[in-house]
Amino acid sequence: MLQITAELIDRQLQGPGQELRLRAPELAQQLSPGQAVLLRGGWGPEPHLRRTFHPVAIDGESWTIRVPPSGDRAHAWLRTAPLGAEIDCLGPVGRGFSLPSGPRNLLCIGQGEPAWALLPLILLADARRAAVTFAMQSHSYRDLIPLHRLPATVEYRVATLDGGRGDLGRLLPGLAEALRWADAVAAAGPADFYEELAGAIENSRYALNRGFAQALHPTTFLCGVGACQACVADIAGGRRRVCLRGPVFDLVDLVAGR
Amino acid sequence: MAIELAPKNKQGLSLHSPLIAGSGAVGFGDAWPPGLRPELFGALVTAPLTLHPVRGKAPPRLAEVPGGFLLATGDHNPGYRRVLRDNAPDWKRLGVPVIVALAGSAPADWPRLAEHLEEAGVAAGLELAVPGNATRAEVSAWVSAVRRASTLPQLARVQVAEAEMLASACVEAGADALVIGMPPLAMARAAGEVTGAGDVAWVEAPLHGPGAFPFTLRALRAVEALGLGVPLVASGGIQRAEDARRCLEIGAVAVQVRSLLWTDPAAIVALARALAS
Repeated sequence: MLQITAELIDRQLQGPGQELRLRAPELAQQLSPGQAVLLRGGWGPEPHLRRTFHPVAIDGESWTIRVPPSGDRAHAWLRTAPLGAEIDCLGPVGRGFSLPSGPRNLLCIGQGEPAWALLPLILLADARRAAVTFAMQSHSYRDLIPLHRLPATVEYRVATLDGGRGDLGRLLPGLAEALRWADAVAAAGPADFYEELAGAIENSRYALNRGFAQALHPTTFLCGVGACQACVADIAGGRRRVCLRGPVFDLVDLVAGR
Repeated sequence: MAIELAPKNKQGLSLHSPLIAGSGAVGFGDAWPPGLRPELFGALVTAPLTLHPVRGKAPPRLAEVPGGFLLATGDHNPGYRRVLRDNAPDWKRLGVPVIVALAGSAPADWPRLAEHLEEAGVAAGLELAVPGNATRAEVSAWVSAVRRASTLPQLARVQVAEAEMLASACVEAGADALVIGMPPLAMARAAGEVTGAGDVAWVEAPLHGPGAFPFTLRALRAVEALGLGVPLVASGGIQRAEDARRCLEIGAVAVQVRSLLWTDPAAIVALARALAS
């Protein structure tokens, strides 16, 4: 893990939020999909803590984060920071997604804002010639990852709660065939989404086996190195530090004991 | 210039720097923020330890407040046996004294813990986290029990709100030094956390960060005025060299930092350099 100053080099409006591209090659080269970066901008002493972000794009020199349209003062500062602004970064934090070796059938499933963290994995898997299906559920079509952000070879399925695009309602009931097709699953969503996902996998494949599905546990980090114990979650029968064991876990461990 | 934290103790506890990594700042010596090395510190204090493993408080544990944050770990630790097996063998290699913190949630266990740690020969000292709302008689009993159980240098860490009341009891019972102190308790909403019932989760815990510093300063000055004749260590909210120098001017011989290691490790390097000069 590094503490490094990144430069804000680009800003793009993306739906209701913004995407900020930050340049710090030393950190970018260490980042993998699913890992977190803890940012602190020049917003003064308040708020005191860094903000946790999972990059939505990674290249050799930079990475991109999404800043949601929240009322949080740190997010507000980031949304108005000028290009060239310096942002103090701690990262990468934790373990990211791991790709199965060799071309495989990868099903990525996301719900809501956390789904964006799957985008770098999708691009990576596609580049490695995996067959990728990406299924996303959001409240409305405005919150979906736009089609043009995905490689042409990726099959994209969506469901919105308002019926504006794709299937109306929940995503998982329509994924039984895709779950049987997949050799591996990567998921990102709110914590309560994962029990539903585990159930859907068990219904489609008779069992949820270790090594089949990875999931990103939503976490706010403080130190990122396992000292503070702020990030613990009840996982795999124990109280685990997510910064060390996660934030990407085997889905079996995330739903164990629930 | 060496700083002696336990001048009246046969074993002594000598530091090369007045900067101490406070309780749990680097876990059990195994969780180092980027850019930080043991030699930046005069000593490090482990996370609080208990006889038996403690799962600690259920999440959420963290809440942000103006001036800092609240962190409630509930003395989460794997128990002394596991720490002695997995962490203690590396302590000598760190090259700085390692002070083992004894958790405030189980003062009745302190004497046995102290015996085990002395027997293991791995700790340079003990830091006793005196629980809040303890009476002078209780504190006296706990500290003297540890004194009887172990010859290791003992630092008694007291809550800032109770420091004046309890400091002399700790010293009379055998504490070699005083750590001023544990931050005040506060309560705040865990940001973004909602329980299954739709209620918001609350965190009740000590305040960490710059907001704690005025409390530390006041308590330090008050205890220094008591003239107890033992070294004082300031702890709580120290963020800048100016904060550390203020504590040393008042009479502390050393300062502990913790939350700053987590929020801005680079600031620790600057702080260590400033204190060294």
